[in-house]
Amino acid sequence: MSWIPFKIGQPKKQIVSKTVERDFEREYDKLQKLEDQTKKLHKDMKKSTEADIAMSKAAVKISADLLSNPLCEQDQAFLESMTALDTAMRRMDSFNQEKVNQIQKTVIDPLKKYSGVFPSLNMAVKRREQALQDYKRLQSKVEKYEEKEKTGPIMVKLHQAREELRPVREDFEAKNKQLLDEMPKFYHSRIDYFQPSFEALIRAQVVYFTEMHKIFSELTDQIDQAGLTDEQRERENEAKLSELRALSIVADD
Amino acid sequence: MQWAAAGVISSIMEVPRRPQPASLKLPLPKPASSDRSPLGAVEKRTEKDPVKEKQRERKDGSVEEEAAQVGEAAFNPEEETIESDVSVFVEAPSEASERDEELLDTNISPVEANSKLSSHDRCSVAEEEKSPEEVEEARKRSEEEEAAAKERAAQRQLLAIEELVQTERNYLRLLQVSTVTIRSNLQKLQPPLANLDSMFLYIEEVIDVSGRLLSLLDQKQVQPGDPLFLETLCDSFLSLSSDIEAAYKEYLANYNNVTAVENDYKQKEALWTEIVRVIKTSAPEVNATSLSFFLVMPVQRIARYPLLLQTIQKHTDPAHPAYSLLEQTAHTAVALNCRINEYKRFREVADKYKKTETLTIKDKINRLNSHSIAKKTARLSQHIKHETGMAAKLVDEEFDALEGFFYVLENGILELLENVETYLHHLQRFLAAKTEEFDLDMDGEKPAVSYKEITTALRQWILPTFEKRMQTLIHKPLCALRDLLVGPRNLIRKRLDKLLDYEMIEARSTLSYEEQAVANTYRTINTLLLNELPQFNGLALQMMWSTLGTFSCLHKDLASDMEQLFQGFAQQLPHSSLESGAFWEWAECAALEGARRLETVCRNVEETLNAPIVQPLSPSSQRRLKQLTQAHGSGKIYQVTGAVVGSRDLDLNLARGELVAIISEADSRGDKRRWLVDAGGRRGYAPSSKLIRYHQPTEDPPPSPHLTLPEGGAGVRRHSYTPGSQPMTAMRLPCLQVFAGYDFTARGSHEVSLRAGDPVRVLEPHDKRGNPEWSLVEARGGQRGYVPSNYLAIMPMTPVTPSTHQPYR
Repeated sequence: MSWIPFKIGQPKKQIVSKTVERDFEREYDKLQKLEDQTKKLHKDMKKSTEADIAMSKAAVKISADLLSNPLCEQDQAFLESMTALDTAMRRMDSFNQEKVNQIQKTVIDPLKKYSGVFPSLNMAVKRREQALQDYKRLQSKVEKYEEKEKTGPIMVKLHQAREELRPVREDFEAKNKQLLDEMPKFYHSRIDYFQPSFEALIRAQVVYFTEMHKIFSELTDQIDQAGLTDEQRERENEAKLSELRALSIVADD
Repeated sequence: MQWAAAGVISSIMEVPRRPQPASLKLPLPKPASSDRSPLGAVEKRTEKDPVKEKQRERKDGSVEEEAAQVGEAAFNPEEETIESDVSVFVEAPSEASERDEELLDTNISPVEANSKLSSHDRCSVAEEEKSPEEVEEARKRSEEEEAAAKERAAQRQLLAIEELVQTERNYLRLLQVSTVTIRSNLQKLQPPLANLDSMFLYIEEVIDVSGRLLSLLDQKQVQPGDPLFLETLCDSFLSLSSDIEAAYKEYLANYNNVTAVENDYKQKEALWTEIVRVIKTSAPEVNATSLSFFLVMPVQRIARYPLLLQTIQKHTDPAHPAYSLLEQTAHTAVALNCRINEYKRFREVADKYKKTETLTIKDKINRLNSHSIAKKTARLSQHIKHETGMAAKLVDEEFDALEGFFYVLENGILELLENVETYLHHLQRFLAAKTEEFDLDMDGEKPAVSYKEITTALRQWILPTFEKRMQTLIHKPLCALRDLLVGPRNLIRKRLDKLLDYEMIEARSTLSYEEQAVANTYRTINTLLLNELPQFNGLALQMMWSTLGTFSCLHKDLASDMEQLFQGFAQQLPHSSLESGAFWEWAECAALEGARRLETVCRNVEETLNAPIVQPLSPSSQRRLKQLTQAHGSGKIYQVTGAVVGSRDLDLNLARGELVAIISEADSRGDKRRWLVDAGGRRGYAPSSKLIRYHQPTEDPPPSPHLTLPEGGAGVRRHSYTPGSQPMTAMRLPCLQVFAGYDFTARGSHEVSLRAGDPVRVLEPHDKRGNPEWSLVEARGGQRGYVPSNYLAIMPMTPVTPSTHQPYR
């Protein structure tokens, strides 16, 4: 608890034991870290999923644009290649969509729900804090009357103050106990909660990439010269480019 | 010092040469003079009459000596046998070639020089024939005129052949000096010369082809005197002619660049003196003062081949076995020059128009003059005539097809490039999401750890490799290809301009010089495009195609890497044995189950921890409660949340915490903000915002799904007021019982859009006025708003316990 020097009504009696307070702090700290991580993970998951979809769409656009290019009308072989490419891209996209849907259902939605719990907890912690302040205030009031001379009116006031204090103390203790009980439980629940998510995340990609591999192996057999190394490709490109540059109509700078 | 001696002798012999040519036995100066020609050309650049100058030089020993040095290779003992007067006759062609060189020195293109030269050649031949003393002398000397003439012709032929071979050797040697010694020495200069390599571009090919020509001659092991030699020479030349053309045309086309670079060097005085010094020390035997001294040689040489060959032909008896071959060779050489010249012209036109000019508006305005405006206006009017159909357009179908294809291709390439860039951009974004960094402290758990490892490998190794390959194998070549599109595009545009110009003058019968130039430019551009556009289109299409192949291959590699990686980890997962369908069922169930548990946690927290502390009711309040409950029923009891001070007629003053019963939820004018209440006898209005429902412990819980908790909650509940606007409500998880039955689109901010099947939570089954046709709902994303009640449907069975089922309405 923060140390507030001029706060009126600080009771002399130690209300909450240091160990309890430390436990509480520790548990709450862990929760706050977890909240932070959950939020960031949720954000990044969403970002990466969005980028994934956009990538897939861009790939589809590559082939769709080529297929609608009038080049295809002039060259039958080109048309065939582009059709094959487009089919592959569309299949890839639909698999990707399925993957993303699964991830959405099993990873992103749960993440969102999970991070939705934190505000409740934070609010509860705040309420506990309020209750604690009330408790302290009344406690110090009781202490003040106890210190005074035990005259009739004071006794009455003391009685009233004690009467007032009792429900507040009960309230705080209930809240404190509940939180101390609930926080570690909640913290622990993340393992069971997210276990399926991570598993689903991996499973979804296994399926996706297996299909991708099949699709693109087929496509590569169809439209690519088999088995060129990167260097060969680079050299081939360079050769073609310099052949182009050698033409008089090409400005070479 | 053999050369020096030879030089002295020749200079001595030179003096009496003209008067008594027959007595001369030493023909040395002849090859020397012709060999010296490249040097002589430089030295004599300022002289007006080369013949006179030459005679003067002859008397000058030092010049002669130098010439002899150069002509070293020409010093052949065989020549000793050559007869007397030959030198005079050789004089003519060698002089001619010297002049030729002079002409070329001023950078006239080879063919022009060629034509001038041949006329000059004829001239000198005429001169030669005119010289009467010589002819007379020859006649007097020999009775067998015919035989002598024949012999002379043979000698002249031999000398001409010798000249060709010797000059070729000399030429090659000097080229080698320039490319090897001078170049390497220049490369050592500090700071390094800019563009030095571009000066020596294509010279290697020229050297190579020249060397091959000589080695072909040497291989045959025949001497120039042999009749076979001429045949060998012609054969060699013919066999190499295409190579010669290829080598020289590039060199010549690039020669302008060479002079431009040299002029650049000349701008910087200190640098230029340094260069000249290097040249002089590298090649002391020639008096060279510039790089172009050497570099111009191929330009001169290629123009000289036809001359030399024609000279040989002139001195060859038509009956000679190789005569026809020689004739053919000479023609080939001329044609070669013509083609090279044509190529150079094409290149120049192309170079002029293919570049995109980057001019500022100011430059453009400065460029405007009456001529350019007239030209542009004429083009515009011609264009308008085309468009309006007033004038027929000159149609070249072949070109139009090529142009169309080019534009389609260009469009395709640009689109492809743009899409690839988008793809790469999204890939970058994908890489930027560092999902592996947040593991939620699940260190010990297999799936989480696996995922972390996979993603790390993915982001740090697999995807960056993939991206790099995409960049180098797809993006870079495409960018290069895009840049190459500029030249043809500019030329096509320029062709249209020139076409418009051309159409206007096409009909005229006589053309001025300028008009001819315009017509030529159009034809040149058209021919160029017709020749090269098909190649360009073909190559570009191939590149595009292979790029797509690469794209597919890269994806295949990526997928196979990824598959392996994921498969490796997937097998270690706890549920790897499940079939795909079963797995997803399990995963989704688990997610739902998790959600339900979370809901429980939330409820616990809300119910038990958010309840505010409430003081027990005072005895007077308890009495009031009892009284009001009896009079109005428990559902109407409200508590005052803050002190109310009445400001209008019939308003009540109420203290905080006081209990009241509601008689009407509106005042007499229907204002819903003021409620008519019974405060234990007193009746009056109170602001509805300060009233809150009072829940009695004995009362049934209100029909809300959150409050029907079996566990925990009920025991702790006590007298309390529930703040209506609890922040907690926003966090409650959606109730799955009510769904949108149809799509609904919001018409304003107070409504919310729904898609059929979306689960919603009903917050109020009526609108603010209590109209049940509209319901306030919370949609999946947390947005709240009104939707038509009849758009909502209740799911027949509930996933949660039946007790929490909230019947709709």
